[in-house]
Amino acid sequence: MNHDSAVLLAWKLFSRSLLFAGIWMLLVGTDPLAWIVGGPAVIAATVASLKLTQVTPSAPARTDGSSLSWLELPRFIAFFMWESWRGGLDVAARVMRPRLRIRPGMRIYHTRLRGRPARVMFIDCVSLIPGTLSADLRGDQVSVHALDVGVSLDADLRRLEERVARLFGEALEPQPATASMISAQAGEGGQ
Amino acid sequence: MTIIEILSLVLLGTGAFFFLAGSIGLMRMPDRFTRLHALTKADNVGLGLIVLGLMPLAPDVRDALKLGLIWILVAVAGATGAHLIAKRAVRDDGEDSH
Repeated sequence: MNHDSAVLLAWKLFSRSLLFAGIWMLLVGTDPLAWIVGGPAVIAATVASLKLTQVTPSAPARTDGSSLSWLELPRFIAFFMWESWRGGLDVAARVMRPRLRIRPGMRIYHTRLRGRPARVMFIDCVSLIPGTLSADLRGDQVSVHALDVGVSLDADLRRLEERVARLFGEALEPQPATASMISAQAGEGGQ
Repeated sequence: MTIIEILSLVLLGTGAFFFLAGSIGLMRMPDRFTRLHALTKADNVGLGLIVLGLMPLAPDVRDALKLGLIWILVAVAGATGAHLIAKRAVRDDGEDSH
């Protein structure tokens, strides 16, 4: 391990334990006795988060993807809240009608995101934006369940992907190599 | 009633509406995937609005921030849980019979 990566690891250890300690304090308060439980919990969370975001040796060096941009975070939160609102309204409007307005089906989306944290963020957000639910992730293929296959999801998913990429400081390939980013997949989900 | 209280009441009422919509969706939707759609999205917005409505009524800043943190944690857990249930259903390894 060279000097730079040692400094980086120390910084990650420090910033993450600070973050988890902050979350603990927020949840439990300042009671010093509570740290009997809180201390080990913070240490365990820090170790787990470092392990889980570790770059696998086989992956190219640029795929770290855990460099969250704090500058970008407020904008992402605003985007996320607006999309959540749209998603909630959309689904509420669909189920409150006398006849359900749905045409469910499964689609495949090829994500250009490389980092694992970025991908997890992406698939979690896919389930909260209007009309889409992330159902599987294999390699770079995200199975997306659509509430209404009549509406194209391509633009929405790509916009979300770009937002997540910016949040994690990833540069996306220019695309579109494939004409059909979302291609139909056989089989309706469910019963 | 102060303006803040009225605002809170409106936010809480709207939040409750979304929880109701999520529950109606859970009952009316035809399969697992579509039920997950209804639950994750509607409940995420519902809880967000309830949290926003409760924040101004919180006794101090820490309690208000705590409510915000709870929303974030539930949103992450909800979306991740939905993905795992959907993944299980889509891979259909035979352990879940209908």
